Amino acid sequence: MKKKTGILDIISMAFLLILSFIFIFPFYWILTGAFKSQKVTVKLPPEWFPLSPTMENFHKLMQNPALQWLWNSVFICGITMLIVCVVSSMAGYVLAKKRFYGQATLFSIFVFAMALPKQVILVPLMKLVSFMGIHDTSWAIILPLCGWPFGVFLMKQFSENIPTELLEAAKIDGSGEVRTFSSIVMPIVKPGFGALAIFTFINTWNDYFMQLVMLNSRAKLTISLGVATLQQEFSTNYGVIMAGAAMAAVPIVAVFLMFQNYFTQGITMGAVKG
Amino acid sequence: MKKILSLGLAAALMATTLAGCGGSGGSETTAAPAADTGTTAAAGEAATTAGGSDAAAPAGAVEITWWAFPTYAQDADKPAGTYEAEIIAAFEAKNPDIKVNLETIDFTSGPEKITAAIEAGTVCDVLFDAPGRIISYAQNGKLVKLDDMFTDEFVKDVNNEALLNSCKSDDGSYYMYPISTAAFCMAVSKQALEAADAMSCINMEGDRTWTTAQFEEMLKKLNAAGFNGATVYCSGQGGDQGIRAFVTNIYDSQVTNDEVTEYTLNDEGGIKALTKIKEWVDAGYMLNGSAYNGGEDVDQFVAGNTAFTTLWSPGLASQRAETLTQNEIEAIALPFPSDDGVPELEYLVNGFCVFDNGDAAKAEASKKFIDFMCNDEEWGPKDVVRTSVFPVRQSMGDLYPGDEEMGFYASLTKYYSPYYNTIKGFAEMRTYWFPMLQAVLNGDSTPEDAVNDFVTKANQSIANAQ
Amino acid sequence: MKQSKFNKIRMRETLISYAFLAPALFFFCIFVLLPMIMGVVTSLFRYNMKGMTFIGLDNYVNMFKDEVWQKSLVNTLILVVGSVPITVLFALFVAAMTYEKNPFTRSFFRCVFFLPVVTGTVAVTVVWKWIYDPLNGILNWLLKSMNIIEKNIMWTGDKKFALWAILIILITTSVGQPIILYIASLGNVPKDYVEAAQVDGANDLQVFWQIKWPSLLPTTLYIVVITTINSFQCFSLIQLLTSGGPNYRTTTIMYYLYENAFKRFEYGYANAMGVVLALMIGLISFIQFKALGSDVEY
Repeated sequence: MKKKTGILDIISMAFLLILSFIFIFPFYWILTGAFKSQKVTVKLPPEWFPLSPTMENFHKLMQNPALQWLWNSVFICGITMLIVCVVSSMAGYVLAKKRFYGQATLFSIFVFAMALPKQVILVPLMKLVSFMGIHDTSWAIILPLCGWPFGVFLMKQFSENIPTELLEAAKIDGSGEVRTFSSIVMPIVKPGFGALAIFTFINTWNDYFMQLVMLNSRAKLTISLGVATLQQEFSTNYGVIMAGAAMAAVPIVAVFLMFQNYFTQGITMGAVKG
Repeated sequence: MKKILSLGLAAALMATTLAGCGGSGGSETTAAPAADTGTTAAAGEAATTAGGSDAAAPAGAVEITWWAFPTYAQDADKPAGTYEAEIIAAFEAKNPDIKVNLETIDFTSGPEKITAAIEAGTVCDVLFDAPGRIISYAQNGKLVKLDDMFTDEFVKDVNNEALLNSCKSDDGSYYMYPISTAAFCMAVSKQALEAADAMSCINMEGDRTWTTAQFEEMLKKLNAAGFNGATVYCSGQGGDQGIRAFVTNIYDSQVTNDEVTEYTLNDEGGIKALTKIKEWVDAGYMLNGSAYNGGEDVDQFVAGNTAFTTLWSPGLASQRAETLTQNEIEAIALPFPSDDGVPELEYLVNGFCVFDNGDAAKAEASKKFIDFMCNDEEWGPKDVVRTSVFPVRQSMGDLYPGDEEMGFYASLTKYYSPYYNTIKGFAEMRTYWFPMLQAVLNGDSTPEDAVNDFVTKANQSIANAQ
Repeated sequence: MKQSKFNKIRMRETLISYAFLAPALFFFCIFVLLPMIMGVVTSLFRYNMKGMTFIGLDNYVNMFKDEVWQKSLVNTLILVVGSVPITVLFALFVAAMTYEKNPFTRSFFRCVFFLPVVTGTVAVTVVWKWIYDPLNGILNWLLKSMNIIEKNIMWTGDKKFALWAILIILITTSVGQPIILYIASLGNVPKDYVEAAQVDGANDLQVFWQIKWPSLLPTTLYIVVITTINSFQCFSLIQLLTSGGPNYRTTTIMYYLYENAFKRFEYGYANAMGVVLALMIGLISFIQFKALGSDVEY
């Protein structure tokens, strides 16, 4: 295919690069800001790169239970991811491949609930969680997020790919439902598994709202909530806040970069052919 | 894993159903007993693993939780909670049968956290705060009465009816045990004023009282010399008492009537004050503070970006001392300017309350702990000094001998105005305050309309809370 | 005979299916459905710290009369109406620019535009707060040093700018997913159609509108749905940046709900808002999903 490079292309490309710069900037600023001294962080004109990097902010950050926060985030995201993956792949498979009573209704309810922002059930959810005695624990975030039906929806999409003939052949061979699921279904939906896992992990990590409402104790905060708290306590000290923000952002960005193909796939599968 | 979890959950749910889905009283008690029964051990264990921080308490010990706003000053560079931990260590040494767990909270998200925790039944036992919120919790029946702590000796020692009344709810019982108090005031930067040749505008004699005319003169000089005035901060409710006192003082208005039964800010003086402030902001003498809250306004002041601030107290002075020195700024505290030169100041009262968590032993232990913090021979005065303000107990005397600045702050107590922070619906009123200022500053409505609207809504909030 | 056998099979399938669905339904019913029902029920009560009193539909009546609620509804709609077209065009532009590049470049740009989403609202807001700061912020400094403005502008506190300032952050934190979707679906446009059209002498614009755009329609509709829902939920930006100010200019329904629940302690009222918000979102997504559904089965 022949392509001539016109002025328009160059302008568009330049525009694209400027936009990229704006999108990278916050992350870049957090990373570099974490190593700047307090005075430098609010300096104008800004110091575009830390000329005299310092670890001072991290020392101050460590006087807070920042590592505990980080661990809480990892724990919450990890467990949520596990439960969501198992539960959703089972449900997604039958929704895609079985014909049963109530199927259509059930699926519509799931789809409707998916569109519902969880914030609207905030107060009752909090009441419920406290009835169970798990308010202000990691489970107060994990369990409600496991109820969110996006995973079911996504896994249904992936399960549509399972050839029906294969399932029927298995049935004729006398394979039980559980075996069919583990030996035929699972291998086929594996990419979906990866996509859902990473998707859940990232979304849970950044689910500020749930964390804000469900967690109180300083030792139980997640890293994002911890940073928001720091922002309020240390409003004067940008350096420490940046160090905290870096601690919240770097791990999750790293995870994203490592698994971005799965992630992209998850997003695409969850959407097209809806 | 999943199975255990589901079991635990199911059990927890059962417990819930059995306890009945009735009033909120039930919610606080369900959690604890459920964890004791064998069936729900899984849920209990899960919760503990998640937290992972519960240290084992000695057998038979009462465990209480203390939530503290950053009211005690910390030693330089120490994180929130360091001093509090020292108090706890000293208390636990004397009372080995009580274990105190500390949580530090901040002023921005703290109040909402407390609300959430009250709803969820996970609120602390002891809270260190001020009457505004504490009395509203009392009015909602969430607190333990502290009448037995207000002994005749204590009441006589405090000898200040207004202050004692601020610790009472409308049922006549005491719910807050006060430790220290001080007036809110404002502060100017000596460096800026000197550079703008405006030192003559302020009064450094006596109680440093001054008039609105002098204040306006100072604004003009600062502006001419290129300094920014303070922000009329109103992005949120943090620190709003400072700017509210500023508004009421400049033309001698009052937030409420003397009986604290009705809002009266829409009197002539209040409207005039808001009109004047709008004028000042439009002329660039003061900054439109719709993007700043009280804390951020103080940040700008101590960073040297603004020449004065309308939110200052001895506590803030000590918390920000280090930054001020770094930026080579000397802050001079002043009362608010007023038309007649006699300020009417709002004041803070620091004190403790005890939440009713349905456990008498905890309530007793909490009271003991509060008593220790306020009345221990060694720690009482020390704690007062850490709040950087003045003891409510007259018998403690002058805790800041020879400190001229503190002497000035102490002199302001005679200008205390009626304390309205315990008015019903106070919390709701605060949510109307800053939008009102924003409406005025951004020209959405005239000062008169805005303040009338505010007073209507605020008065409605009193009715709502009945 | 045949019918009953069929029913038997179907019955069996149903049993098995529900066994597989059980865990998902368990979580869903307890943590989504039950709170939803509780929310609807309590929205009929005057429900605060003191207790509950049944007041029928009063909360709803008051809500529609509540000026602040009306303002938040308008703000929310402005955010939706503002973010949806910009997001679509922006995403389309980036995707069109990058989908034919080599895989490395493509995934580079994909990552770049997804970065703010992954970084998380809290961390990103820390930086934006500084960008918008009237006195120390970089935006005012930049504009002043380029002589575009003379006086500092109070981005998040000025009634003319506040909502737009929020909108910009909202877009940067939500455009990542649409870009990924567009890149994927542009890659799916059959090459032969495009080439055939080019042979027929169609220019780039014609190729785009007549060949590519129709096959992008389902994706576009889906993007419209998710961006709409996303904008309806805008909360943390407001909570972290403006507290709804100035004078309720950035209060969204979601933020107002939060304020009512946690600052005014009016849980019943907050729940009523939640119900209405859910209905609005439900209705909008229903319409959009319908449209999507009919278009997709090609």
